[in-house]
Amino acid sequence: MTIRRPALVVLVAMATALSAQTASSQSPPPSALVNQQSRETVEAARAASPHTPESTFAYFREEAERFLAEATQQIWDPTAPREASPRTSWGDPDLSGYWLNVAYVPLERPDELADKALYTEEEAITAFVRWATRDASVDPATVHYDWTEFGMDNWQSPIRPNRRTSLIVDPPNGKKPPLTAAGQTRLQEQARRHTLESRGLYERCIQGNQGPPRVPFVQNTGESQIVQTPEALVLITQANSDVRIIHLDGSPHAPESVRGYLGDSRGHWDGDTLVIETTNFSEHRKWNGSAGSLHLEERLTRVADDTLLYEATVTDPTTWEAPWSIEIPWPRMEPPGLFEFACHEQNYGIINVLRGARVRAAEYQATQAAE
Amino acid sequence: MKSIRSRDVPIAWMSLSLSAVAVLASLSGTIAAQTAIHEAFPDYDPPLTAHGTPDISGIWQSFTTANWNVLSHAVQPGPFAEITGAWGAGRAGLGIVEGDELPYQEWARAEQMRNRANRTVVNVTNDPSRFDTGDPELQCFRAGVPRANYMPYPFQIFQTPEQILVVYEYKGAYRTIYMDEDRPAYDQSWMGTSNGRWEGNTLVVDVQGFNEHTWFDREGNFASDALRVTERWTPVSPWHMRYEATIEDPNVFTRPWNISFMLYRNVETGAKLLEFNCVPIVEPMMYEPLGFLDEDVTND
Repeated sequence: MTIRRPALVVLVAMATALSAQTASSQSPPPSALVNQQSRETVEAARAASPHTPESTFAYFREEAERFLAEATQQIWDPTAPREASPRTSWGDPDLSGYWLNVAYVPLERPDELADKALYTEEEAITAFVRWATRDASVDPATVHYDWTEFGMDNWQSPIRPNRRTSLIVDPPNGKKPPLTAAGQTRLQEQARRHTLESRGLYERCIQGNQGPPRVPFVQNTGESQIVQTPEALVLITQANSDVRIIHLDGSPHAPESVRGYLGDSRGHWDGDTLVIETTNFSEHRKWNGSAGSLHLEERLTRVADDTLLYEATVTDPTTWEAPWSIEIPWPRMEPPGLFEFACHEQNYGIINVLRGARVRAAEYQATQAAE
Repeated sequence: MKSIRSRDVPIAWMSLSLSAVAVLASLSGTIAAQTAIHEAFPDYDPPLTAHGTPDISGIWQSFTTANWNVLSHAVQPGPFAEITGAWGAGRAGLGIVEGDELPYQEWARAEQMRNRANRTVVNVTNDPSRFDTGDPELQCFRAGVPRANYMPYPFQIFQTPEQILVVYEYKGAYRTIYMDEDRPAYDQSWMGTSNGRWEGNTLVVDVQGFNEHTWFDREGNFASDALRVTERWTPVSPWHMRYEATIEDPNVFTRPWNISFMLYRNVETGAKLLEFNCVPIVEPMMYEPLGFLDEDVTND
């Protein structure tokens, strides 16, 4: 962690980010639907909207500037020396509290930064300001999920700049290793289509979008709480109110026949770091082309009073040609508590999601038939 | 509106999970047994946590049949007994309600009977009318309080100085009992907002902020969003904890009423709370009637 005051860098970067805004907003977001008409819909919505990214940003500008001035005081620098972890009353490293899994840094390193694992501090701030400024500019096509309005943009959280150019730290090129043939097949099978079974596990409220492992979502949905006792560490994620009990009692994993969407977790201390091994994932679990064979090792370290470092290594030779690892600093939050996320109970959305997807699928079939 | 069909009866519905519980008493938590319980566990002082409060952490489970009916009830075949046979059946049981009656307002008694008649009618909509029929448990909805405490599933208690966390195996639902300072109910929820304090060896928890959808049992006994539950958790031996609660809901009942039953510590070697994610289990029941499981689009 490095502390600094880069006010001038922030202002210059904001100006640059805004001037680049119009061009960057032309590309449509990834679509969950099954043909390209969704792109036409989004573009039509943008054309019909009286707003532009510049006008929506103007609305939040003052708030965004205050955020940037504050957030850029601290930069995550993985090369900087780390503080010793605070300890619990019984002597273990203290990981308890509310922590936010959030990042602007992309999972995989962009090609243009191929040989550059770390930004300089100035580059990290410039990139951060660019991402945050775009984040604070609402896509005029947005109707329903206006994340900014609901305070769910990343810039409305305690996110901070990061010298990393990708969340993936291994392989050294910052990209996922190639999929095996079986992994490719499975990834295609896991693509969302117009049937319930094909939809994402979060859409179906089977589990939230916070893993395991916990890769940040593009918006601010990574709130979590750690409740710690000598025997266990309970990790609760706001998304879907998923609860993982990580047993610290030295007990072996559950038998292989006992499998689940959150897996079976055991933890042990390695100095200041909690090492969590998770196995026994359900075969029905979909994660980047992997399923039941996933082996996950996570490492949690309190690297500063207000920062928990999350590292995860995924190993599954049936899916990837090599293991791969991510690293994300989680800033501390101080909410009054997490809220109940009764996702399945009120999953009103899945009905229209599927109806819409089936309309798209039927249109696609009709188009194919006509050709 | 569609009734579930017999082939769609989900496992979630059946009371199969009698996992290993400390079988120190074979009686259900019955009214008749209460006096005996008090006599059997006199003057117990529980061990203390590192922060000096009674230690009630661990895996617990009730031994009642109250999830079928909080009042005393005869044995019953399950719905679709032609398919589920003895698996789906409910055994007879003594009630957990003091006086063995529920003081319903007149309209509410009729509502409970409607709930009972429609307990397996699942009507999946994209609006709150989805909550009008069907036992929430049947559909893998959160059970609410106190029901989660006497469902036939274990739950685990974790204690810190600031909070007591209760994680229920059913649905992996949890509730936080705030011990440091009271939180208001910021919004309605299934499991409510819980604020606790110790009175001697008894954990007293005030639970409010419920939504209007929770049931007490498969019999359709229910509450409104005015429900307030005052729980009293008292360890009475290393392996037993007495659970008492006062139920208040002026919208539904004519007076407060009390429940009481025993919780048993799971003392099996290596016992752990396991994952009971019932959402994928209920998907065929809930979404197949909407045609969402068919692969062929043109069948719509």
